[in-house]
Order: sequence, then structure tokens, then C-alpha cells
Amino acid sequence: QQHATPPPPPTEPVAGPEELMRLCREGRVKDAVELLAKGARADPPTFYELAAACSNTKLLDELRKVHDFFLRSPFRGDLRVNNKLLEMYAKCASMPHARRTFDNMPDRDVDSWHIMIDGYSVNGLGDEALRLFELMKQSMPPTSHTYLLVLNACSNSEAIEEAFLYFDAMSRDHGIEPGVEHYVGLIEVLGKSGHLNEALEFIEKLPFEPNAMVWESVLNLARMNGDIDLEDRAEELLVSLDPSKENPKKLPTPPPKRRLGINMLDGRNKLAEYRLPPKIEKKVVSEQRYVPDTRYVLHDIDQEAKEQALLYHSERLAIAYGLISTPARTPLRIIKNLRICGDCHNAIKIMSRIVGRELIVRDNKRFHHFKDGKCSCGDYW
Amino acid sequence: AAASLCAMLSSPAAPAPNEVTLLTVLAACADSPSSPLARPLALSLHARALKLFPSHLLLSTCLARFYLASRVPHLALQLFDSMPVRSVVTYNTMISGLMRNGLVDSAFTVFDGMPAPDKVSWTALIDGCVKNGRHDEAIDCFRAMLLDAVEPDYVTLIAVVSACAEVGALGLGMWVHRLVLKKGLERNVRVANSMIDMYARCGQVELAAQVFQSMRKRTVVSWNSMIVGFAANGRCTDAIELFEEMRKQGFKPDAVTFTGVLTACSHAGLTEHGLRYYDLMTAQYGVTARMEHYGCVVDLLGRAGRLDEAMRMVETMPMQPNEVVLGALLAGCRMHGDVDMAEQLMQHLLELDPGGDANYVLLSNIYAAVGKWDGAGKVRTLMKARGVKKRPGYSAVEIHGDVHEFVSGDQSHPQAGEISQMLGLVRYEMERYGYDEHGGSFLNGD
Amino acid sequence: DDAAGDAAAAERRRRKRRLRLEPPLSRGPAPQRAPGAPRAASNPNAPKVPEPASVLSGKRLDLHRRILALVRENNLDESALLTRHSIYSNCRPTVFTCNAVLAALLRQARYADLLSLHRFVTQASVAPTVATYNILLQAYCDCRRPDLALDHFRLLLKDDSPVLPSPTTYRILARSLAENAKLDQALELKDDMLERGLIAPDAHVYTFIMGGFVNAGDGDKAISLYEELREKLGGEPILDGMVYGNLMKGYFLKGMEAAAMDCYAEVLGEGSKVRFGAVSYNMVLDALGRNGRLDDALRLFDRMCMEHDPPRKVAVNLGSFNVMVDAYCRAERFQDAIEVFGKMAGKRCAPDALSYNNLIDWLGKNELVAEAEGLYREMGERGVNPDEYTYVLLVESCFKVDRVDDAVAYFYKMFDAGLRPNANAFNKVIGGLVKVDRLDEAQGILDMMPEKEVKPNIASYELLLSAYVDAARLDDAIKVAKGILLDESVVFSDEMKALLEGALEKEGREGDMTKLYEEVETEKAEAAARAAEEKARAEALAKAEEERKKAEAKAKEEAAARASRAAIEAVLGRKKEEEKEGSPDGRN
Repeated sequence: QQHATPPPPPTEPVAGPEELMRLCREGRVKDAVELLAKGARADPPTFYELAAACSNTKLLDELRKVHDFFLRSPFRGDLRVNNKLLEMYAKCASMPHARRTFDNMPDRDVDSWHIMIDGYSVNGLGDEALRLFELMKQSMPPTSHTYLLVLNACSNSEAIEEAFLYFDAMSRDHGIEPGVEHYVGLIEVLGKSGHLNEALEFIEKLPFEPNAMVWESVLNLARMNGDIDLEDRAEELLVSLDPSKENPKKLPTPPPKRRLGINMLDGRNKLAEYRLPPKIEKKVVSEQRYVPDTRYVLHDIDQEAKEQALLYHSERLAIAYGLISTPARTPLRIIKNLRICGDCHNAIKIMSRIVGRELIVRDNKRFHHFKDGKCSCGDYW
Repeated sequence: AAASLCAMLSSPAAPAPNEVTLLTVLAACADSPSSPLARPLALSLHARALKLFPSHLLLSTCLARFYLASRVPHLALQLFDSMPVRSVVTYNTMISGLMRNGLVDSAFTVFDGMPAPDKVSWTALIDGCVKNGRHDEAIDCFRAMLLDAVEPDYVTLIAVVSACAEVGALGLGMWVHRLVLKKGLERNVRVANSMIDMYARCGQVELAAQVFQSMRKRTVVSWNSMIVGFAANGRCTDAIELFEEMRKQGFKPDAVTFTGVLTACSHAGLTEHGLRYYDLMTAQYGVTARMEHYGCVVDLLGRAGRLDEAMRMVETMPMQPNEVVLGALLAGCRMHGDVDMAEQLMQHLLELDPGGDANYVLLSNIYAAVGKWDGAGKVRTLMKARGVKKRPGYSAVEIHGDVHEFVSGDQSHPQAGEISQMLGLVRYEMERYGYDEHGGSFLNGD
Repeated sequence: DDAAGDAAAAERRRRKRRLRLEPPLSRGPAPQRAPGAPRAASNPNAPKVPEPASVLSGKRLDLHRRILALVRENNLDESALLTRHSIYSNCRPTVFTCNAVLAALLRQARYADLLSLHRFVTQASVAPTVATYNILLQAYCDCRRPDLALDHFRLLLKDDSPVLPSPTTYRILARSLAENAKLDQALELKDDMLERGLIAPDAHVYTFIMGGFVNAGDGDKAISLYEELREKLGGEPILDGMVYGNLMKGYFLKGMEAAAMDCYAEVLGEGSKVRFGAVSYNMVLDALGRNGRLDDALRLFDRMCMEHDPPRKVAVNLGSFNVMVDAYCRAERFQDAIEVFGKMAGKRCAPDALSYNNLIDWLGKNELVAEAEGLYREMGERGVNPDEYTYVLLVESCFKVDRVDDAVAYFYKMFDAGLRPNANAFNKVIGGLVKVDRLDEAQGILDMMPEKEVKPNIASYELLLSAYVDAARLDDAIKVAKGILLDESVVFSDEMKALLEGALEKEGREGDMTKLYEEVETEKAEAAARAAEEKARAEALAKAEEERKKAEAKAKEEAAARASRAAIEAVLGRKKEEEKEGSPDGRN
């Protein structure tokens, strides 16, 4: 259970914009919102600052409150503040709120559209971003920057074909000549969708000599996809074009074992003709295999339900919750009011090994330190 | 002293007592509430005091202290409610007294009515919560105290640390440890002892040992905490070695020490060692065996399959064996498949503790272990008939300083879906575990 | 091109509509969800859409970097383990991170580990991307199991698959099918590619299939495939240089040398817009070298070396050198082959064991054993580990020039190097020794096999048997024949029987053959009887032991029960008495 948060400090009667601004600057958004609720006055710059201060998902409630007060204020139509609200909702990963705000805005400028499109793709909703772009085209002409955002949206939803269609439409329908950044945008669409080879082939066909920006993008895509050979090559090309990008801390690349496909000798290896098949060392852990021991379930239920009941023993729930709530390999400490049952004891032993953590269970009798598939009690419990 | 005062008071010739006399007498009574003279004397003094010095602060406070000490808290509360003036001491007396009488909520009410609680009040509150098993509240109170900017002293810290030990809040416990170091309280033996206990009970026996090693002066409690800590954490050899070291250094082991040592022996299955230590305890150190010692010895014998000796031990115990002792015997029966003995013991246990679900579970497990499924069914029927429900097991896990509790089969957690997915994955991997992981061993071929 | 693109886009959108989440507006504020936790899908069995690239941020990006660093340190065990352990945490690895580890395992040819990790992350609901599929398919193909790769590929084509194949996917499969001579399946794959229109007709896919037909000697099919591709791409010249090597080979196969060289002149001539890189160059180079065009090959190789300007332009790689080695050796210019092989390092290429083996093979066959040995020593100096194949080549080379002792010495070196030669490798030595009539030594090698856990094959026996017959050592021949008959895993061929019988007859020892069969029968029967007896004895022992234990347990149980009953009666009786007497206040 959660422990109570401290009671709020007593507040002054009515504060003005200066006071709110000061709190924002001090990072005390919650206090500022509290003041707002107590009737503090705010002007558009203050609302802007207040919204800007709610910069992560934990502050979504505050952002919504600021938004509420803003809507009740005479400045609710202020475009700059509205755009900031869109931006911050996007930062708080709350696109439905952003969209509702966007839909209700009295005026929108190109920034509003851009913020929304970008917000969708940053939040992994590339398809929504593209849908919104289609809407945008009905009310105002897209700019070069719009297309960059659109390509970015495509790269976040593996929309490769769409990206190429949009790229063609750019100059055809809107007379915008693609710049290097748009080509890089396409490279990223390919690379982020796992089409690294295809991205490289695209680069070979570029109408200009690939520059540092291109190779930097390839470098990042190679890192993203874990292709260390391509990463090395891109880095080398990048450094040859822009020596300032040299990475002094770069680790050397281990030589690859697999040379298939480049040595032109495929099918000529007779190694298999002269080598014994590998010895398969059977691991001798089979006795540690986990088989649910339903003798430990004291309810009148059928076998399957019994196994299910074992699965939901409180210590396992606590461990599972501990796993999803803490970083890898940190130990978990569980305290149980009853004695741990034999099935759980056996299960947690194996669990400690497969999840790679030390699991310390204190039951009403003693401690069990589970680690690497063994328990400190030596099964003598 | 009380007696002579009594005589003096009852003699009509004596001068009328002034407040100092009364105070002294009442204090004496409060200090020895079990004295047969105390209760009538204090009651008469109460009447007299009210007559002579109505609503005298010190007198009333002292009276309240007496009532609380005499286990009549309602009288204290009445008196407290009628007091027109109260000092901090009055409040503090009430809080700690009510806590001692188990009236946690009343204590909180009194506390909440206080104008400015000081560290004694907070400490009384926290300590009271701990003593009444309300550990979470103790920790909450401690946090509130810090937020209120009241400096805790070592008594507070000891109370909080024991709450941490109970709920396994290692994070907070370590934070308190840092506070202890900052305040330079680490030389305080009682503080250090509580740190050892806390670390040991949070499973961090290494840290406990560090604290123990760094102590310049140790008491028997220090040794006991460390030995019990080692024993509970499965470090049986360490426990026994430490015990030998303790004796070498001239400390006299007491009942708790032996509980630790015998537990270590029983956990490690060191039957002979255990029995020797048991003899040592009674013969050399003259420590009278307590229930928990019998529990350990019966456990030792039971595990070793020496069921008849275990039985003899139960037989010769000077007191009625409790469910722990019989449970240990029952566990021995389970391990060695002696169903007959188990059944008879169960009869006895049912008389002793008809509601104790653990024993039903144990008996059912015994049946199951020897393959008597109908027997397990019988136990279930019996439990149903007697209305005994298996006590719900719950487990707690501390994450980022917060303790989260789960009961078996609980699906109400906001992240129940993810928890269940994680369990599903773990379960799947566990069942694969030990199978040939080289599902594609043919691939090594080239 | 456009039509195919549109069809693909339409297909993609159709799938997406069915799979993606409903529009976000129709829902309330999203429930708080731990970062990286899988999306709750309405149907848990529906394939999940892979996570978008934007998830690679914050803590999950830190984890990605940490794992990449482990990959660079070549600590693949730890990187795989950390990936697994991170699944059990509040910071799950992204699919990109999983792909990175899988790719690293593929790079180091650790296929079993790769499959194991792939299975695990799939079980852990990490939705795969096309990159994941490509790695898995490549792993199966590397292991020459295109059938298994195809099984997984079919998952990608299912209607509800959220992932679509990429050109690379088709290339991996086409190449493997062609290399494994599964040309019908390769053509099917290509037709499927055209029909679905998920990707444009791909020059590489065509190239690989053409290569398959070239290897099968079918020049016509290779050429017609090229023409089909050209037509599919709108009749324009194909600008990807990949296809031309196999096209030329097709022409050469049909004896159309002029056509091949015209093609060469056109695509590599002045003003050609065809793009070439190391791989596509190598294919042309190979076409020239294999068809007696060494001078053209040399000119092309020079041009490649001139163009080679890494990292900007990679025109030469390991394969180029191997192709040149082959070309020189075909022309019996072995010194040149050795020389060009040695120039590799100058172009930042490192030979692998197979490249060495290839050249050693050429040199050995042409009795240039000292040169072959020089290369073998070089391998050691350069840290390229010789394998079983290397040693077999050396053994063969030495036998060829009658350096028998050296051949045997190379054979023994294998065991020092921890290699695991099989019966074929043993037979090379046995055969060599037999040829120079060192039969006892050959027998010694055969006798050594069980100790090295190698089962002899029929050739192992036959080599010796016929040698003994030739040398008229009939008793030894009979011994070998007995070995064959007693070895259940080999069959005594009729020719060998006839050979032995003939030899015995010549010596007037016809009866010995019958005697041999009889002996074998008796020995077999004896062995069987021994085994049966052994088994029975073991069973009896086990049974007796079990019964003893049972009886013991029963006795113990009874005694314990008796004792406990008595004891309990005693204690309960006494306690009850006491209870009745004492404790009137009813404590407890």
C-alpha cells in the first residue's frame, strides 16, 4: 500500500501571476496549481509557463488542471498557449487530450498541425499522424517541414510505401523540392522498419553524393538494428567527411565467424565431410524441472484448477509484481505470513535462476535465499 | 514505602497531606501497580485529591498514569477528558499508557488533540504502534514526524527500525541507518542491536554482521540478535561458530541464545549437535527449557526420524505442548511417513487448537505425501464441517520503499494483467527449464 | 512499377486496418502502463504489431546501448543473458535490442543460441519485425535448412501477419533454395513475389535463381530469367550489376562466347550506367575466370583495385581474391595465385579458413606441397584456425608426393588441435598407407577409431580387406571380414565377399569362409547370451534390493507406529489427567 503524501503547506490568500511564475521557475508546479485552485490570477504568459512546467507523464493531472483554469479564463483562445498545451499533452503521452484540445481550438496555425503530427509519431501513433496529415491538406498547404514530420511518422509505423508516395507528392502536388533532409527521412523510414539493405541500396541511387548527414543517419540506424559491421562502415565514412565526428572511445569490432556470401566459395566447403557431428552435452538439470506439485493445494478442485491455484500463490504474485517493477538483476525481498509451500519453494528455486535474480523469501519460520536455482536452506526446511 | 504512607494517611492524627505528599504516594503506586495496597490506596487518594486539589495538573497526570499502569484505561480516559488543563507530559503519559493497554485508536485520538506534539509524543505513538503490531502505521507516523520537522531520538529510531524489521522495509531501514550514523548514534548499543535485528530480518545477514563486527561494546542481546539472525538466514555454521565465540568471550548465553543455536541445528539437520547444546543449556547454564526449545529439539528428532524419542520429549515436557511443538512432531511424521502417529497427534491437536488451519494443512500434506488421497479428502471435509478456513496467505514485497501486499489468487491489483502475463511467462520457462535448450542442435553441424 | 507499388501499399493498409488499434479518440485517457509493458490486445492470440521505433528511448535506450557494448566486446553470452533477464524487469528490451543480439549471434555463427533466444523472446511476446524474421531465416539457410526457413516465411504471408516480407527476405530464401538445388521451389518463390506485389521484382532474387540454373548447367533458363526480369522492369536496361555475372555464365554455358563478351563490354564499358560493387564485380570476374578469359579477368581485377577506395567505394573483397586464385590456378599459374592471395591484406581483406583451404587444395593437387605447407604455417601466424578439411588436404597432398610419414604426422596433429575428424578423414590415411603397403600402420589407424569415438564405415574396412587380399595376408583379411560381420552398422558387400572367397579358394582354404561365418554366429550368440545374462542378473539384484528395502521399511513403519501409539496413549492420557486436576481457571 502507498504511504500518505505530506499535507500541503498553508497557502496565502490570493496570489498573482508573479507568484505563479516564481513557483514554476522553482519547479513547484503542484504548488502553483494549488494556488490556481485557490483563485490565483494568471495571464497568458503565466498559463504558458504553467503548461510548460508539466513536462512528464507524472504531471498530467496538473497539466489538465492548468488547462481547465485556462479554459475558464478570458484568454482561452490564445493560440500560443493552446499550442503549448498540445505540445505538453504530447509530452505527457496523452494524445487523446491533445486531440480534444486541438479539435476545440478556435484558431490553428501551421504549428498546431505540426505539433499534433509530431506528437502522434513520438507517441508511436504514426498512423494517426498520417491521418491527421490528410486532414491538414484540406485546410492548409503543407510545408517542407510538414513533410519531414510526415516522413518521421512513416518511419514510426513502418509505412514504407506511403513514405515514397508522399515523397513523390511533395514536389508534384505542392511544388516543394526535396532537400537532403527529406532523402534522409526516407532512409530513416527504411532503416527504422528493419530494411537496412534496402536503405543502403537507396543511398547508392541518391541523385547526389551522400554527405555526412546521410552517413550519420545510417550510423544511427545501424546502431538501432545492432548491425555492427554497417555501423563501422558508416562511422568511417562519416569521419572521412567530418573528422569532428570521430569517436575516441569506440570499441574495436570482433572479427565475424560467418563469412558466408562474400567469399565466393559457397558450396565448396567440405568441412562437414570430415568432421564428426558436435557432441551434444545434455545438461544434467533435468531433475530441476518444474512440475507443479498439486498436493500442496488444499481445495476441492480439479487438477488444472489446482495448478492454476499454485500459480497464483501470494508469493508468486509478489515476485511477479517485483519483477515488473524493478530493474533486471536486482534482488527481491518477499515476506510471507505463512510457511512457504513445497511447490512454491521448488518453483522459486528455478525461478531465481531463469530470471537471474536473488529472491529472498522470509516466511513465518525462516529465511530462504534463492539464487542460481539453489536455496540457502539446502532444501532442508 | 507505600505501606507506611498508607498507615500515615489512614491515621486521623496525621496532618492533612499536601500535594507533594500525594504526588509522591501516587507516583509510588503507579510504579508498583501490582502491589496489593496500591489499588485501594490510589482510589482513596483520588477521592481525596479531588477534594483537596481539584484539577491539579501534576496530580491528575500522576493519577492517570496510575490508572493506565493498573490496566483501567477507561478511568484514565475519564479523568483525562475532565481535566481542564493538560500539559505535554499529560498527553505523553496518556499516549504511551493507552498504547500499553492496546488502545491504539484512543491513543491516536489523544495525539490528534495535542497542540504541539514533541519527540516524546511521536516516539510514544510510533513505539506504541510497533508494540501493537501496527507496523505500517508506525512507519507512516515516522514519515509524518520527519515532515513535521521533529527530530527523532534514539528511542524513536529503535522503534522505527523494529517496524522496518517486521515489514521487511529494508530501504527505510538503511535510510535510518544512515541517519543513525549522521547523528553519531552508532555507539549506542541498543541502536546497534536493533540495526542487527533489522538487517537480519530483512535477509541482509551480511550487513547485520558488519554492524555486529563494528561494535566496540556488545551485550548479550547483540550476540543473540546475530546468532538468531544467522540461524534464521540459513547460515547455521556461522550461528554455531558465533555461539562458541560468545562463550569464549565470557558472555553467558541465555534462553534466546539457545533458541538461536537450536534453530540453527534443526535447520542444518545437526541432530547430535543440537541435542548436545540442549543438554549444555539445561545442565551447565541452568536455563529452563522453554516451549521454543522443546519445539527445536522435537523438530531435530523428528527430522532425524527418531520419532519415538521426539515423542518421549513431548511426554516429559513440564508444560502442555503447544501447536508448534506438536506441529514439529507432525512434520517429522510427514517426513517419515508415519501416518498412524500423525492421526493420533492430530486428534490431540484438534482438541488443543481446533481453529489452527496450519495443522489441517500439515495432516492433509502427510496423507498426500504417503499417497492416501482419501485421507486428504477427509481432512478437507473435517475442515469444512468445523468451519475452519485456511488462513489466507499473504506476501509482501518492498519496491522503492513502498511495501505491496498480495493475497493468494488476488486479481484486484491495477497491474493484475501484467502480473499474470509475467507469471505465465515464468511458468512456461520453468517447465521448459532443464529440457534440452539446443532445440536446433542439428544447426551445429557445419 | 507504380502498379506494383500501389498494390503493395493497398495490401499493407488493408492489413493495418484490421490490426491496428481503434482510433485513439474513441478511448478515454490511456491507462497508466509500465514502459515497455506489452499492449493489452483484445484478442490475446492475434499477432501483435511490432513496437514503433519511438520506443527506443530513455531507460530502454540505455539498455540497448549496454547490450550493444557487450556485443562489441564479443561477450555474446552475457548480452543474450541480459536480454533474457531484462524481460523479467521493469525495462523490457525493445525488439530492436533483441534483433541486435540475434544478429550478433548470427554473425558469430552461433545458431543454436540464436534459435534459443529467438524462441524465448517470441514466448515473451516481443513482437518480431521483418528484421527479426530475416535473421531467423538466414540462420536456417546458413544451416542448409531452407525448408525450415520457408515454414517461417509462410507465417509472414498469412492474412493476419502484421509484418510483411522485405526484398531481403526473398533474397535470403532465393539464394538458399538455389544453392541447395531446389530450383522449382525457387521459381515458385519468385512467382509468388511477382503475384503478391509486396515488393517490386527484385534483381537479386532473379540473380540467385539464375545462379542455381547455371550450376545445374541450364544456360537457357538463366538467360530467359534475365529476359523476364528485364520485361518486368519495363524493358529498360537493368542498372543493378548483380545480374550480369550469371547472365554471362548462361551465355558461356550455351557456347555463346560472343554474346557473353558483348554483354561484358556493354555493362562495363565506357558510359555504362550499370552500378557495380564488390559482389557484382566478383560475379562477372568469376564468369570470366571460369571460362578461360584470364586476361579479361586480370584487366577487370585491376580496374576493381583502382576503383577500390574504402570506405567510400568497396570494389574488392575477400571473394574477389578467391575468384582470382581460382582463375590463376585454372590457368596453372600457381605462383601468381599465391601472390594475389598474399595481396589481400593490402586491400583490407582477411582470408578465412575456407579461402586458405581452397588455395591449399589447388596447390596440393598440383604437387606444390611445400607451398601448401607454407600457407598452413601462415594460417597459424595469422590466427586463422585450420580445420579438419585443412588437415585432410595436407594429408592428401603429402601422400601424393610420397611423404607418407608427414601425411601421418598431419593426421595426428588434428587430435592435438582438438579437432574431431570422422571416418572419412580416417579413411584418407588408411587409404594412403594401404597404397604404399604399410598395412600394419593402416590397421593401427583403424584400431584407433573406437578410442576416438569414431565409428568406421564400410570403406574403412574394405580398404584394408582388399589390401590384405592383395598382399595375400589372408588371416588378416579374415580378421577384417570378421570385424565387418560383427559390426551391425555396416554391410558386407557381395564384391568384397567374392574377393575374399576367391583369394581363399586360390589357397585352397574354401572351408575357412564357412568357418568364419560359424565363428561369427557363435560369437554373436555368445555376446547376446552374455548380455541377456548380464541383464537378468542386474534385474534380479535390483529386485532383491527393492524387496529388502520394502521389508525394512515396513518393519520400521510398524515399529514406529507401535511405538508412537503407545507413546501417544501415554502422553495424552497423562496430560488429560493433569488437565482435569490442575488449571481450574481455564487458562489456555
